Amino acid sequence: MDILEEHHATYTGAKKFESSQIIQANATGFGAASDDFMDRGIDLNEQLIRNKPATFFFRVNSDAMLGAGIHVGDILIVDRSIQASSGKVVVAVLNGELLVRRLQIQEHSISLLPENKRYGAIQIEQMGEYSTWGVVTFVIHSV
Amino acid sequence: MQAIVDCNSFYCSCERLFQPQLKNAPVVVLSNNDGCIVSRSDEAKQLGISMAVPYFQAKELIEKNKVHAFSSNYHLYGDLSWRVMETMRQLVPPGCVEVYSVDEAFLDLDHVPLNELHSYCTKIKKQIETWTGISVSIGVGPNKVLSKVANRLAKKNKLLTGCVVILHDTKTTQAALQKTPIEDVWGIGYSYSEKLKTYGIHNAYQLSIKDLSWGKRFLGGVVGMRLIRELKGMKSHSMQAPRTEKKMIATTRMFGREVTQWQEIEEALATYATRASEKLRRQHSAAYGVAVFLLKKAPVNLDATYYHRGRQVSGYVKLDNPTHLTPDIIKAVVALGKSLFEQGDIYKKAGVILSDFVPDSALQTNLFVPPADQKRKKLMNVIDNMNAAYRDDILKFGTSGTHKNWKMRSERRSKRYTTRWDELCGVR
Repeated sequence: MDILEEHHATYTGAKKFESSQIIQANATGFGAASDDFMDRGIDLNEQLIRNKPATFFFRVNSDAMLGAGIHVGDILIVDRSIQASSGKVVVAVLNGELLVRRLQIQEHSISLLPENKRYGAIQIEQMGEYSTWGVVTFVIHSV
Repeated sequence: MQAIVDCNSFYCSCERLFQPQLKNAPVVVLSNNDGCIVSRSDEAKQLGISMAVPYFQAKELIEKNKVHAFSSNYHLYGDLSWRVMETMRQLVPPGCVEVYSVDEAFLDLDHVPLNELHSYCTKIKKQIETWTGISVSIGVGPNKVLSKVANRLAKKNKLLTGCVVILHDTKTTQAALQKTPIEDVWGIGYSYSEKLKTYGIHNAYQLSIKDLSWGKRFLGGVVGMRLIRELKGMKSHSMQAPRTEKKMIATTRMFGREVTQWQEIEEALATYATRASEKLRRQHSAAYGVAVFLLKKAPVNLDATYYHRGRQVSGYVKLDNPTHLTPDIIKAVVALGKSLFEQGDIYKKAGVILSDFVPDSALQTNLFVPPADQKRKKLMNVIDNMNAAYRDDILKFGTSGTHKNWKMRSERRSKRYTTRWDELCGVR
């Protein structure tokens, strides 16, 4: 029996919301017709941060992932609770440096791929010097 | 069974999370004002750097071995501490996490079958590490004292134990107790351990076979009796509800440099009074008691045979009406401070202590509280909310000053990676 999975292994904090937080017009004349239909408003925290204790923000300092829509100065939302798999954009730790790249896992090799022709792919030779910090879930870009 | 989850070199781990190049490097974190060493990585421990020693004493060792020394970054540690605790709350049933300190929590694991405890704890450990990047050690025993014994052994040999030790039967427990020096038992301070050694008790096992009445007589009464009870495997301490209400609030800091001017002391006291009354309002209390202390610099001690801490002066006043309004508390604190201050002396530390609390709801029904105070209460609320929303005390009282030359040193503080938008960690 898997006890951990029995007790919600995923984060539930984002669902904490009280009905009193729903905005009402509280009109003094005729009751506002829309009050009965008010929703919980759109909340970016709920949409972009799936797992709060595991979610961190980073600032992008390079254009290595330009092709993936990640520009210098953008903010990355990084979730450590997501399993890093091939094809995902990750924050990687390579020789003590933090890099944002696309992870490629093949049968006998792991590579970090840039999305900018001016950068080369990085082949991971020894696993000791590599680890995944977290998986990038969203980019915040100012236009 | 009960577990204690304890973060490994917590402050150092927080620093390393955003500076992965320090992974295997020696790291230490200094206390407020860069005074003492309060956290050491395993590498720093191996270099012989001791806990709680003043920074200047260890400086030579630190520089020679290129140890990375950080000022404490409580913004970062506090945020990561919440993440670690929140991760645990997701894993165990409601009410089973008791946050004990910034880096420790007790877990109630009575719902876990004995033979599954090890895999359960390993999973908790792994999930905390995956989610937050902080590694932890977990000790499990029939009660809190024994879980602490287990945790110490888990930390002592991380490779062998995988940072998880479970005292699941009497035999393992006895062996663990025999390996635990008496001074490392939770709740036994230096003076008691010295006393116990004169009775021939050098390890936890030797204490555990003493009678309860012996504990009552020689080990501080009921407290000692409870301790021996727990060492025998019985439960004395239950899980505690979170402590939200304090009976006393103290804000004290060392100055960043020697302070001689009254104006600087006044600014410092007003700042501490502001911080303390914020805490007071947050717990919905009002205080009758206000105390202030000033610590003077020790005179130069030429024969240096003993350490002179410096002379401390203090004063206390009981207010006619309890208050939680910052201006009232500043007024009382400044008046006390002024009566203590002596021109010509050098000061190195000051503190404000609030005590004798009543619930602030009592204020509203008190006929003797002028109605004007109700308005001031509302104003305080606005100020508190704005300061919380804008983070850096944007609204403050004039007395607390704008220069703050006396402020704490924190020259080696890392960025506030998780709480400040303009201090996020960079990635290339």
